[in-house]
Amino acid sequence: MSDAATGVRSLADRIADHMLDASVLERVVIALVATALALLIGAVIVAASGYDAVEFVSSLVYGAVGNASNLAFMLRQSSMLILTGVAVAVAFRAGVFNIGVQGQFVVGGFAATLGILFAAPLLPNSSISAVPLMALAALLALAAGGAYGALPGMMKVYAGANEVITTIMLNFIASGVVYFLLDAYLRPEGAAAPNTEQFPDYVGLPGLVFESPSFSILGLGVALLTVAVVYLVMDRTGFGYDLVTSGYQEPAAKYSGVDPKRMIVRTMTISGMIAGLAGALFAIMILGYYSDPNTFPTFGFDAIAVSLLAANNPLGVIPAGLLFGGLDAGGQYIGFTLDVPSELVDGVIGLIVLFVAAPELFRAAGRYTSLGGDRE
Amino acid sequence: MSTARTLVDDRRTLVGVLGALVAVIALLLFVDLPGSDLVTVGALERALQAATPIALAAIGGLYAEKSGVFNIGLEGFMIFGALVGAAVAWLLAGGDGITQAHLWAAFVAVALVSGVLATLFAVLLIRYEANQIVAGLAVWFIGLGFGPFAATVLWGGVSSPSLPNIDAVSVPVLAEIPVLGRLFFDASPLVLLTIVVAVAAWVVLFRTRYGYWVQAAGENPEALDTAGVDVNRVRYATVIFSGVMAGLGGAVLSIGIGSGFTGTGVTMVDGRGWIAIVAYLFGNYNPLGTYGASLLFGAMDMLQIQLQTIGISLPGSITGLFPYVAVLVVLVGVGYTRVPSAVGESYDTEE
Repeated sequence: MSDAATGVRSLADRIADHMLDASVLERVVIALVATALALLIGAVIVAASGYDAVEFVSSLVYGAVGNASNLAFMLRQSSMLILTGVAVAVAFRAGVFNIGVQGQFVVGGFAATLGILFAAPLLPNSSISAVPLMALAALLALAAGGAYGALPGMMKVYAGANEVITTIMLNFIASGVVYFLLDAYLRPEGAAAPNTEQFPDYVGLPGLVFESPSFSILGLGVALLTVAVVYLVMDRTGFGYDLVTSGYQEPAAKYSGVDPKRMIVRTMTISGMIAGLAGALFAIMILGYYSDPNTFPTFGFDAIAVSLLAANNPLGVIPAGLLFGGLDAGGQYIGFTLDVPSELVDGVIGLIVLFVAAPELFRAAGRYTSLGGDRE
Repeated sequence: MSTARTLVDDRRTLVGVLGALVAVIALLLFVDLPGSDLVTVGALERALQAATPIALAAIGGLYAEKSGVFNIGLEGFMIFGALVGAAVAWLLAGGDGITQAHLWAAFVAVALVSGVLATLFAVLLIRYEANQIVAGLAVWFIGLGFGPFAATVLWGGVSSPSLPNIDAVSVPVLAEIPVLGRLFFDASPLVLLTIVVAVAAWVVLFRTRYGYWVQAAGENPEALDTAGVDVNRVRYATVIFSGVMAGLGGAVLSIGIGSGFTGTGVTMVDGRGWIAIVAYLFGNYNPLGTYGASLLFGAMDMLQIQLQTIGISLPGSITGLFPYVAVLVVLVGVGYTRVPSAVGESYDTEE
């Protein structure tokens, strides 16, 4: 290869790198500004409602990372949000709006619960059974979540039904049906609450680093491992390439022999599988039984915000999940220490999503203040 | 795109929706049930009431989408409407003794507040070209957060105390008509008003110049621009209209026919904004068909009571799912509807 050609090549590479960096940088800036702006609006609303805004912000931070038990709670929420966030990111990246992660999460957790409750009596009642039992639960959760994700995928592909609406309907249906089954068949005789029996004691993840009954560093490990697998598949394999191109360049994908319909169903299946796995983690690590899904945290919805903040990039889901886990933990802390209703944080998360949806807003603000004007 | 085609589409839609309604009623009548007890005047009355909030939001959403903007935030606007309605009525009366005048004033306040919120939303969508699906979802999340938050600030809990609602109005002579009199002229005026709105929305959309602008903004914005009409102005108007209508639909839930704001779970709106979107898709963007579809979903919502009266007792957790299942059946069965060609695309003039 001649020197000139090499020179051109490396120049092109450098330009490409630069553009990539600029857009990554821009996304990070937009994410940070959107979060700061939303928190600012939250603080103003807190002040306008007659609470102390400074105390609100400082308590928010303390609630997230103030001491070891707060930190454990934050990491627990973050683990769930990273896992569900990756589920959303897989679908959004492929151009499929899977709003049904919450339902797939509920169904996955329920399948895991059924596996544990029905298989436990068949195995020796000791910790030897823990690993096979949890492996079975995880497999069932993957299958159930995947199937519940594939359903709206098929409705979209074969009947043209808009997946935003079908997945939202399926969320309602999942919670209703699971509640009905729990209430009618799995509630122990005479129990007041619609909860299943407790799982055997040996089912659960050991705390290891943190002394929390509902958080294990292994849970965070499962979430990070899932991110790594998804990242590698999407960035380093032909399948991942087809997935992303069928979302953004349908004609190109078709031309290269990819069947976009099949890709949509596959995408939804994978997304649902990850959501189902999150359900298993929730049942095993956090609850230790299963309960009325209408009372569950809405990880599947907050995950949409996590994924969008990360620009649907699997690696970006990690910092975004940590941030939202912190907001969630902080929000619950202010809920019971300051009497500021914790729903406020849900509203702030909504504002972040709104701002992230409108990057033009920040570009315009950047031009107006001549900050970052060099990007134009 | 031609008028002829639209009319054919319209007729097909109306036949489809009416056919579905008749089919449901016929099914209920003949599935070995004491059917005459299932379809009663009382049942129709409840279905009409349940259809009202859905139809209002759906007609608003229909206009926005016809003009090329997918307002997926209807659910969120309904939550805000439900909250603001209850809050204003409560604040105006100073807590107790809410009168009919307070309630009607609250409806006006809901229209104003929803209009302001929808204007902000429209600026984000149209001027700053926000992703319509994501921004619409955000409105829902914001409603889910700030709705119960505001309720807690006002009432100390996520729900309001029990509030009165709009009284039924009895029109002297017309109320005497059998069946129809009881359904429309001795009922909540909101039911009749909504039907009037649906008819007016049909006339405006298909029979006035402004309606053609709305359609053109969604089908062929370039042509509309060439004709000297500001496309984005039309879209601002329809998005704001959709927010106001959804807000009013929410207020109907909390103070129109309901008894206050409920903020637990996904709030009292409980997916009706999403159902509204399906109602206008099922109605193929025809306001009258949309009303019919809303009535179908309203009837599904009220089926539980009917089933109980004929002695079929299903748990509430299952009967509560009928509307959602109906939505899925409709979406899969009707499936493809012809979406206006420029939906989701922002429009920039070439100047």
